[in-house]
Amino acid sequence: MEHIYREIHRDPRFHELERKRGRLSWLLASIVVGNIMWYVFATAFYPEASFARFWGEPIGEGMATTWGIVIGLIQTVLFIVLVNYYIYRANGEFDDLKDAIVADATRTAGDGK
Amino acid sequence: MPRSSATPRATPDVGLRPFPRGVGPGAAVLACPADAAAAVSGGGASGIAIALFLLFVSATLGITWWAARRTRTTKDFYAAGGNITGFQNGLAIAGDFMSAASFLGVSALIFSFGFDGLIYAVGGLCGWPLVLFLLAERLKNLGKYTFADAVSLRLAAVPIRCMAACGSLIAVVLYLIGQMVGAGKLIEVLFGLDYSLAVSVVGGLMMIYVCFGGMIATTWVQIIKAVLLLCGATLMTWLVIAQTGYSFAGVFATAIERHAQGPAIMSPGGMVHDPISVISLGTALVFGTAGLPHILMRFFTVPDAREARRSVFFATAFIGYFYILTFIIGFGAIALVAGNPAFLDDAGALLGGTNMAAIHLARAAGGELFLGFMSAVCFATILAVVSGLTLSGASTISHDLYANVFRRGTGDDRAVSISRYSAIGLGIIAVLLALLFEAQNVAYMVLLAFTVGASVNFPLLFLVMYWPRLTTTGALLGGILGLTTAVACIVLGPTVWVEVLGNAQAVFPYKYPALFAMIASFSGSILGSLFDTSERGKRERAAFSDQYVRSQTGLGAEGASGH
Repeated sequence: MEHIYREIHRDPRFHELERKRGRLSWLLASIVVGNIMWYVFATAFYPEASFARFWGEPIGEGMATTWGIVIGLIQTVLFIVLVNYYIYRANGEFDDLKDAIVADATRTAGDGK
Repeated sequence: MPRSSATPRATPDVGLRPFPRGVGPGAAVLACPADAAAAVSGGGASGIAIALFLLFVSATLGITWWAARRTRTTKDFYAAGGNITGFQNGLAIAGDFMSAASFLGVSALIFSFGFDGLIYAVGGLCGWPLVLFLLAERLKNLGKYTFADAVSLRLAAVPIRCMAACGSLIAVVLYLIGQMVGAGKLIEVLFGLDYSLAVSVVGGLMMIYVCFGGMIATTWVQIIKAVLLLCGATLMTWLVIAQTGYSFAGVFATAIERHAQGPAIMSPGGMVHDPISVISLGTALVFGTAGLPHILMRFFTVPDAREARRSVFFATAFIGYFYILTFIIGFGAIALVAGNPAFLDDAGALLGGTNMAAIHLARAAGGELFLGFMSAVCFATILAVVSGLTLSGASTISHDLYANVFRRGTGDDRAVSISRYSAIGLGIIAVLLALLFEAQNVAYMVLLAFTVGASVNFPLLFLVMYWPRLTTTGALLGGILGLTTAVACIVLGPTVWVEVLGNAQAVFPYKYPALFAMIASFSGSILGSLFDTSERGKRERAAFSDQYVRSQTGLGAEGASGH
């Protein structure tokens, strides 16, 4: 197995794959972490901080629903959408690239035996 | 005698035993039904609840029988043969996560504090996208049955497995005690069973599921329960909305009218006031999720990384939906239960403590029939979650410790029988501990389980996958530091030091130690690895490249067993 790993490691497409997928993972992960930090900090520093104050304000005159609730709801939906987007990319384009790399490396390594 | 739901009940004898209890923020959700030693249906259990419960038990025993016939290999036992689909696994993961604790506990927190209860929902949910983006597929590609497989691939197997097993077993046992005590209390109340009998019934059933049906039975029990819980919560939300004029705004408006704090329940700041505690709680919720062994183990039940990813999608969607429902249910409980004298004691506190909010609401919104249904669902939930925990603990003992440490290299293939004995052992230990800790507030144990997940298992898993320089020495140092910091902070913190041991002042001022324990663990691993100049350390760093290719491509990983 080790020689196939080495073979893959030599393939420039493998580094393209790890770069692309890594960039997407970290981008999406930082969006999620940013959101949860906003949420946690808004809870921690309400109502002093300006980024938190409007969380307690109603979304309209005389309405019970506040911005905080709307944001919480949007974040929940956002997480699901981000997960779906990642899977769309990873199970499609990234997996195709990965399969091609593995197939080539297995063939090359097999020939070399 | 079980009463027919059609029989009108004499109100006074409904016998809602007053058991008022102050709710500690955060304690509720994790300890949950633990403190819920409360009365809902008084003297006898409702006939509906018992009938539905018996139906569930016979269905799951049937599944166990079916699963036992299909469990032929080690892989079937630990990982359901790797034949679970992404959708099924997503439901099972959601089931593991939607414990009775999170259903009753989160709705209780919202009932008490309004908006702030939502932090458990958003915090718990956001762990899942992170698991997907950073861990899931690498974990699947590296591991076989437990997450210790993945972390011991390039590090020294014996010490690392011992440490991972230690982290897993501590987390599992603590979580198990919390769920068992909670289960006992809840069943005592809902079905009128004696506490010790209730705990033994739960322990006995979970041993049967795990011993005979292994992962196949455990997964299907979890799936059925997840579907039941999702349906129950959906129906309940619908009933609540129907009573407040078919609009969410109507639920909120009624809740504001009824709650003592008025409009303040719609804004943050009701529950936890000090920023460090909020951040530390957030850390435990987000990263603890990614370090709980019974959840990590689920990624090995699918055939490949592709299905592992899909399972996270379904899990996230179901958990997100479930939390939105729980959120509305929490506010619905304020709207329909808080103002109703039938659910309050003389002092105006909720009967049975706030953890009973959702159960009371079931009755307020849907009558006895629905109360019976939700009681049975809560019971099923507990049963499914403790089975998952037991299986994960048993796999740790038999696969990690027995097969790969004690009998390493001997070709001993009795791991599955060992894990059956371990399941029985764990079941007995869990029942005994549940009896021992009956009177305890178990919040800190479950909190410790999350903290151990966040400070031992998660850093180890993350660093082994992402940091080439990590060595065995560093990993061990980090794990030990993380664990001791977590334990020390819990023992010296307000929950144990003041409330349990009765000291006046907490040595460690914060209730949630996860942030500190996680920092200790990461620093220990990083420093230990950087100063490790041994030959073994060099080899381990050199091995990263192969491990990396495998984690990215899945080449050499375990697939489905194909039957």
